[in-house]
Amino acid sequence: MSISLTNIINDWIPNQSKVIDFGCGDGSLLKELIDTKKIHGYGVEIDSKKIQECIVKGLSVIQQDIDDGFEEFESSNFDISIMASSIQCLKDPHLALRRMLKLSNKCVVTLPNLGYWRCRADLVFGKMPVTPNLPSSWYETDNLHLCTINDFEKLCEDEGFIIDKKIFLNPDRDQSLLASISPNLFASEGVYLLGSK
Amino acid sequence: MNIVKKLIHFDKGLLLESGSKLDSFDLMVETYGELNEDKSNAILVCHAFSGNHHAAGLDPETNQVGWWDQIIGPKKAIDTEKYFVVCSNNLGGCSGSSGPTSVNPDTGKVYGKDFPAISVMDWVNAQKLLSDFLQIKKWHLVTGGSLGGMQALQWAISFPDNLLKCGVFAAAAKSSTQNIAMNEVSRESIRKDVNFFDGNYIEHNTKPKNGLKAARMLGHITYLSEKHMDVKFGRKFQNTDSKVSGNVDYEVENYLQYKGEKFSDSFDANSYILMTKAMDSYDASADTNGNLEKAMSVIKCRLLIIGFDSDWLYPPQRGKDIQLAGMKANVSCTYVILPGEQGHDSFLFSADKYDVIINTFIESQ
Repeated sequence: MSISLTNIINDWIPNQSKVIDFGCGDGSLLKELIDTKKIHGYGVEIDSKKIQECIVKGLSVIQQDIDDGFEEFESSNFDISIMASSIQCLKDPHLALRRMLKLSNKCVVTLPNLGYWRCRADLVFGKMPVTPNLPSSWYETDNLHLCTINDFEKLCEDEGFIIDKKIFLNPDRDQSLLASISPNLFASEGVYLLGSK
Repeated sequence: MNIVKKLIHFDKGLLLESGSKLDSFDLMVETYGELNEDKSNAILVCHAFSGNHHAAGLDPETNQVGWWDQIIGPKKAIDTEKYFVVCSNNLGGCSGSSGPTSVNPDTGKVYGKDFPAISVMDWVNAQKLLSDFLQIKKWHLVTGGSLGGMQALQWAISFPDNLLKCGVFAAAAKSSTQNIAMNEVSRESIRKDVNFFDGNYIEHNTKPKNGLKAARMLGHITYLSEKHMDVKFGRKFQNTDSKVSGNVDYEVENYLQYKGEKFSDSFDANSYILMTKAMDSYDASADTNGNLEKAMSVIKCRLLIIGFDSDWLYPPQRGKDIQLAGMKANVSCTYVILPGEQGHDSFLFSADKYDVIINTFIESQ
């Protein structure tokens, strides 16, 4: 059984911090963080149906397309911003990361790794990768900017983002030995805590 | 549905924001459903500019359906089988509550233009006296659209301990320059009517009907979206048999003429001026030097803010401004922008777009 993202990033989120979750979906992560960490959380989501599920959970959400920018949130004093599994769906992932680090000191980013061996294997056999982390076929996917673990870390270096912490996971959301030794090949997902210089 | 309509007299004075005082006043109130034993199932609905206490069901006297009947009633989004819903005609209105058409107890004459200026805050204060009268300590929800949404927001700021949830539809934390400008054109057309007599038309046994009608016609244009008008009327010519006057060519003209005429029969011109002035003067951040975040920092209830994409009178961005200030102030708030084809009027007529969301909000933890 897969471990929830909350368990993975739990130690990174201080108690009672003010958190914004970009692409919060049905709000499961926010709800868990509120229950376990007493955070003050807000979600950003575009889909009305998902916002409805957030309302059921008693969460606070703003309906907005992340690609439209979110400079308006900068004076809200967020401690941490989260972008779980959606950075690759954005029009300008590097700009979104810059903006996230402008509105909060730290940001948590998770991304699927296109360098994962099963993705490579799919490509070797001449087809677009379909894996537990990349479940949609090429014509249905929302992903615009897939990258490998190495690509992402190179971007962080170029942009001056500091990688405070990182965890590499296999498809079961476990930290396997192989994934930590050679993440670009054996991790299906990377979870990062970023800061800026 | 159990509809109870009653006029409630308050002899405890009400100090108004303007500094004037109403020594006593009446509120015309309608309620739907039953208040439960611990009085925890009450919902206050605040009406918009030209609305009144009749929010739901059929009024046997006027044969009119309530203005928010789409969402208030048995098994509807605001379920009257579960909730006790209250709506009152605002002070200064002309549907039974004290206003320019009622008699001033001090003089024995109709108030007319001498009815004191009223603000959104005054309405909220009067509604608080109403909740005390009904012994409701905490509303489950206070909600409304447009000017009603402003009242709901002001409730959350003025009486943070007395509501659990707040629903703000198609509203703003303050009227925009354009809102004020539109209202001034309306007022000017009333003032320039030969039968206005500087507001003393009742003494002259007349009404500034033409001015009021023109004001309402302008109002109607601002309530609709360009697209909706185009879809509804297009450039279709009005059928000759149903023309309200010989001057009418297009359907849209006929519609505005008809709506304006109907409105000018039932609404009071001084009330119109008073209500638009209340709308213009509203600014939730007036007491905090324009700092909305600071004004909202006292809020304890959960806020649901809804804007409609085709609304150009209170554009969705105005709702988002409330959300952004709420986020800064650590208020529990959610902002949703919905597709409503009918412009500002979407909050009244596009209930199918938001009934699920308001119901979810009401029932949520």
